[in-house]
Formats: sequence, C-alpha cells, structure tokens
Amino acid sequence: MKKKILSTLLSVAMVAALLAGCGNGSTKETSKETQTNTPSTTESEAATDSTDQGQAATQDPQTEKTIKILSIWAEDNDNGVLINEICKKYQAEMNPNFNWEYELVSSDDLKQKIATLTASNDLPDIFVYESGKPIVDLIDADKIVNISEVLEQYGCADSMNPSAVSLLSTLSGTDDIYDLPLGLNVEGFWYNKALFEQAGVKVPTTWEEFEDALAKLNDAGIQPLAAGGSDKWGVTRLINAYLVRSAGPDAMTKAANGEAKYTDEAYVAAAQKIQDWADKGYFGQGVTTVDMNTAGSMLMTGKAAIFYNGSWFTSNLNDDSANLAGNDGIGFFNVPVVDEKISAGDSYSMNCGNILCFSKEKYDDATGWFIKYFVENMGNTAMKLQGTVKGYNYDTASSNVSGYTQMVLDNINSAKSAFTWYEATMGSEVSTVAQENVQTLLTGDMSAEEYMQSIQDAFDLSN
Amino acid sequence: MKNVLKNKKAIALFVVPAFLVYSIIVVLPVFWSFYYSLYSGSPGLKWEFAGLKNYAMLFKDKNFVAALWVNIRYVAVVMLGQVGLGLCLALMFHFWLKKFKNFVRTLVFFPVVLPTVAVGQLFSKIYEIQPSYGLLNSVLSSLGLDHLVQPWIGQASTALGALSFMDIWVAMGFYSVIFYGALLDISHDVIEAARIDGANGWDLFRTVLAPLLRPMIITSLIFSFSGTVKMFESSLALTNGGPGNATKSLSMYMYNVSFSYNKVGYGSVIAIVIFLICIMGSTLIGRFDKKEL
Repeated sequence: MKKKILSTLLSVAMVAALLAGCGNGSTKETSKETQTNTPSTTESEAATDSTDQGQAATQDPQTEKTIKILSIWAEDNDNGVLINEICKKYQAEMNPNFNWEYELVSSDDLKQKIATLTASNDLPDIFVYESGKPIVDLIDADKIVNISEVLEQYGCADSMNPSAVSLLSTLSGTDDIYDLPLGLNVEGFWYNKALFEQAGVKVPTTWEEFEDALAKLNDAGIQPLAAGGSDKWGVTRLINAYLVRSAGPDAMTKAANGEAKYTDEAYVAAAQKIQDWADKGYFGQGVTTVDMNTAGSMLMTGKAAIFYNGSWFTSNLNDDSANLAGNDGIGFFNVPVVDEKISAGDSYSMNCGNILCFSKEKYDDATGWFIKYFVENMGNTAMKLQGTVKGYNYDTASSNVSGYTQMVLDNINSAKSAFTWYEATMGSEVSTVAQENVQTLLTGDMSAEEYMQSIQDAFDLSN
Repeated sequence: MKNVLKNKKAIALFVVPAFLVYSIIVVLPVFWSFYYSLYSGSPGLKWEFAGLKNYAMLFKDKNFVAALWVNIRYVAVVMLGQVGLGLCLALMFHFWLKKFKNFVRTLVFFPVVLPTVAVGQLFSKIYEIQPSYGLLNSVLSSLGLDHLVQPWIGQASTALGALSFMDIWVAMGFYSVIFYGALLDISHDVIEAARIDGANGWDLFRTVLAPLLRPMIITSLIFSFSGTVKMFESSLALTNGGPGNATKSLSMYMYNVSFSYNKVGYGSVIAIVIFLICIMGSTLIGRFDKKEL
C-alpha cells in the first residue's frame, strides 16, 4: 500500500512540473530595462509658432514628445545601437523637445508581449516585430500605422530601398507597407570555386544549367550540395527556390490565402525535385543529421560544392580560421531561373529580419517627423557604423568592407524585386509540419504528394 | 515525544506548512490545467470557453496518436533496458567481478552524472555519418560491414532505437548501484544454503535472489517509468524530435501545442493525458507488489 502511495505521489509530482509550465504562459516575466533620456539643453526656439499647419510639411515643428520604443536589442548591440544613435541625432539636430524611452524584451517573449499589449490597447509608439503572419494580424486588427501614407505625406518615400519596400508589401499582403525594415538580407547559393573548376562547371544562371552542374559535380566524385537538414529550414528554402522560379513569387501566398492548394501540381513538383536530389545522393548520406553550421563548413573546407544560405553567412566566410577556401574561394549566385517570364533573374530571395511597427493609437505629427528623419538617415548611419544595409538608400561608404560583404552589397543593389521565404505565410502550426516533414521527404519515408498533403492538412486544421 | 505526537496542534504545525507548499505548487496546477483545458485560444487573447471541444480534438489528432505511440515504445524499451541491464550489471559486480570492481563500478556509474545535453552531443557524434563517419559507422566500416553504415539518427527506422540505446546507457549505472546495494544486503548464508541444495546459477537467481530483490525491482521500475514517460530532454538534445516526428514524445508535442501554436487549452488536455498515463502506469507496476502481500 505504501508503495502505491509513493508511486502515485511520485507521478503526481512529476506531472505537476509539466502542468505548472502551462500556468505560467500568460504571466511570463519580461526582462525590462527602461531608460529615459532627457535632452541636455531644453531650449526651444520657435517651438510655438512653427506648429502652424502651413509649415508642417517643410520644417520640423519641434513638438514636445516622448516616444516609447520596445526593442529586442540592447542599446549596445546590433540594431539597438542604430536606433539609439538615430534618436540621439534627431534630438540634437532637429528637435530638442524630443525624448525617448527604450525598453527591452527578449526576442522569445516578443510575440507574447505584443499580444498582451495589443489586447490591453497599450502598444508603445514604436516596437520591433516580426514580418509575415504576425504583422498581418496587427494590420487586420487596424493597430498599426500605414507607413506608405506617412512616407508620402512627409515626402521621404525616395529614401527607401525599392526591393525592401516590395518585400515588406509582399510579406504583409498589402499594396502599402505598414512597417520599416531593420535589415536587408539576400539569400542564394554559395559555391566553392575550386570544386567548380575541378569538375569543369560554370556558374549556372538557368535551372537546367544548375541541374547539369549538380550532375557533373556528382560524376566527378564531389558532393554537389550541403544542406542543414537537421535545422530543416535549410532544405525548405530549396523547395521554395524551385517553386518560386517555376510557379511565381506569390505561389506560397496563394496557397496560404486558399486560392491554391499545397497539393497542386507545381507544389508537389517542387518537393519532388528535392526528393529526387536526395535519392541521387546529391546531399550525401544522412542529410537530416547535418546542421547549417556543419553544412557551411563542408562548403568552406571543400567537402561539398554548393550551399544555400543567406547573406549573414558572410560572418563565417570572413572568419579566416573557419574559411579554408580563403578570401576569394567562395562565390555566390542567385537562384537559377526556370522561366524568365515567371520569375526573373534579378529577383532575389530576400528578407528584412525584424521590423519596426508604429502604434496607430499613439501616432501623431511628432512621430511622423521622427519617421521622416529615421528613414532619411538610417541608411547612412548603418553603413557608417556597421557596414550593413538596412533597407534604406545610403550615399556613404564604410571603410572596412570585406570582399564577401561587398559581394552581398552588389547583389542587393542589383536586385529589382524580391520574393520571400517558404514559411513566411504560414502560421506556426503549418510551418512546424512543413519543416518537420521535410526530413521524412528527404529520407524517402514520405512521398512528395504525402508531404504536401500533410501541409495542406495542417493548414485546413488551423483554419 | 509521545505527548508531542498526540497533540493535534503540534501535528498541524509540522504538517500544514509543507502541505500548503505542496498544494500550491503541485495540486493547484493540476486543477488549473484542467480549467485551462476547457478553453481555447491563449490566455489574455481570444480566450473563449470551448467546453469539451479540446477533448474531442484529441481523438482526431494524428500527431497526438503518433506521439503517444512513440512514447509507449520508448517507455517499454528503455524501462526494461535500464532496469534489466542494471540488474545484470549488479549481479556481475557481485558474483563475477573479482578485480577492478571499484573501477568498473565507477565507469558504469559515470554517465549518470553527465548533463543530458552533453550526452546528446556525444551520441550525435557517435552516430554521425556526414561530413565524416562517427565512431559507430567507422567501426562498422573498418570491420568490412559497409552495408550496415547508415544515418542512425537520420532515418525514422533507427532513430528511436538509437535514442533508446543512449538513454539506457546513461541510466543503467544508476540502477546497477541500487541493485548492488540490495545484493549486499542478502545474507551469504541464504546463498550458501541454496548452493548446497544444488542450485545452479539460474535456479539461484530465480528462486532465491529474484524474490528477495523484488521490492527493489518494483521501486526501480517505478523510478524508470516516471523518468521515461516524461521523455523530453534527451530526445530534444539528440534528434530534436526528428526525423519528421519519429522521436517526438507526448511532452514535446504538448510543449509545441501550448507554446509554439499558442493553444494552451489543447496543450493542457495533452498534459492531463500524460498525468493519467503516469497514474495508470504506476498503479500497474504497483499491482505486482501487491500480489506478494
């Protein structure tokens, strides 16, 4: 009897630990770091007469305003540096009556935090958020400012990088944009130049050439592709690459809107393409156990010829101890074209990383003027301080840009339009299924039809 | 002392604080979770009463069934492996090993103190196939068994087995120490007597040692059961539930549903199912204990 009690207690104690986790979901503490910045000089010349409507369009009225910013980067890190730099400069150069409060939340808690703030109608003036499905929900709920209108009103639309704008509008599924970019990454195929030479392969521009190259590399005893099958997204991006080139950049959006089905021919064909490659051994053995880092180092150490990844991969390439191929050993090419009419060669897979949204409720003229300053100065500030492109035009050069970084910048600048990644339009449930099952697609435990069917099923279930 | 224990107030003084803490952190969440299971959406946002809809969903959910099946197979294999091999090791320590006893015991116990994530990393290297063969595949290859070289954790057919092997390896040392302690408690006279009666090794185990070890076996099974039914971190560290969902357990699925899909209500239902499985499992194991009494 005693044993029975003991055993029951043991199991209760154990399960309680599981259950307790659920209870905490809503009350999770967010790491908070609030800071108020007051201007050193509080003089306000001409603050009174410049608030007239007539002047608003030409000169900053210097309205007194404290803007709350919710961010996921500390002030000395990444975009945190840039946002604070812009605020500081705006205060010093344009509007001494401007103040800002910078609040920090961990990126894992961001969505939950915004959800709670939305529910209580208390969104901060400016907040960092995620593009794709999350922002669409906010647009539908009419919670955030239409940025296109603001840019038009304040005459600063020219400061935006056109492919960033096209990308943001694709991601939110609207003609106007409702957010500002905080990054501009380009994705595509990185290749090992020495291995290409060894197999006598040229850089492909069409899909046919690409498949020829893969076959040639394979025949030469070189593993054609490295992919991070255990991180999953490295493989789903390949499906997306073919799908976009063969069925158009809006293929995934159409399926997510219900205009098409994931089980339609083009979608299945894209999945089939990747499975065929796996069957032919293009990925080597056990691709589902390889993570993105390993796959990247396979490219750099000459164990595989081609690797799909984004422009952030340059940080690995710039690391001499990891990149055995050297400063000029790795090249980059855009996703090869199937049909120029469906998706053109100057269209790149791009993303903007995290984005900035503006609360509609808190928006006023003062925020508008700040947005104008932000948009006009972000490009140069980012290039000067960090040598990065954030989705705004810039006219200065950073002094310490490496060859690989320059290669990425050239590609970004030559982009005429952009398409998004595979999971951008999927809810979390659908994207989990799409990512998990891509492993069974690779191992052959699931056919291409079954794979796409499983995504369609998850999609039907979640709607 | 007797007076103190007769005094109801004194008893209350001892019991109430612990009971309160226990209720708040153990009993309350169970009821809380049950309350959650009747709602849909996530707390604070679109939080609507859904009645038994979440429970009905359970029966239609293919992923839930798959996770349950993974969990059942895992518990069965790992529980028997851990306790069975633990027992064998203990017998080996006691009857067979004469030299290096302490050294071997330390060696076998060693994995118990390793962090799960480190063990996961270690085994993913052992099972590795790309970019270079791991320990297992290179041994197979050097033995000329190249047809056996395969992505052990990269295919659905072997992933769960590979994971189970890892968890048996980690915990069997723990059980061997428990059984070894119990074996030391068994008087030499009993074993001596059985030997004189002409019992061979197997008879000795079956008729003398096993009955005497029974309470320890039951306790170990319960330990092992409660350790394996919550299957989470080792699978997360080695395969992350993959490939596909070949090693995705109920608790991992519950975590996904509650925190990735933000369906706290449905997640609570799965948690309750895990809770029921625990109760059923430990009652079942307890049954074997009762028979004896």
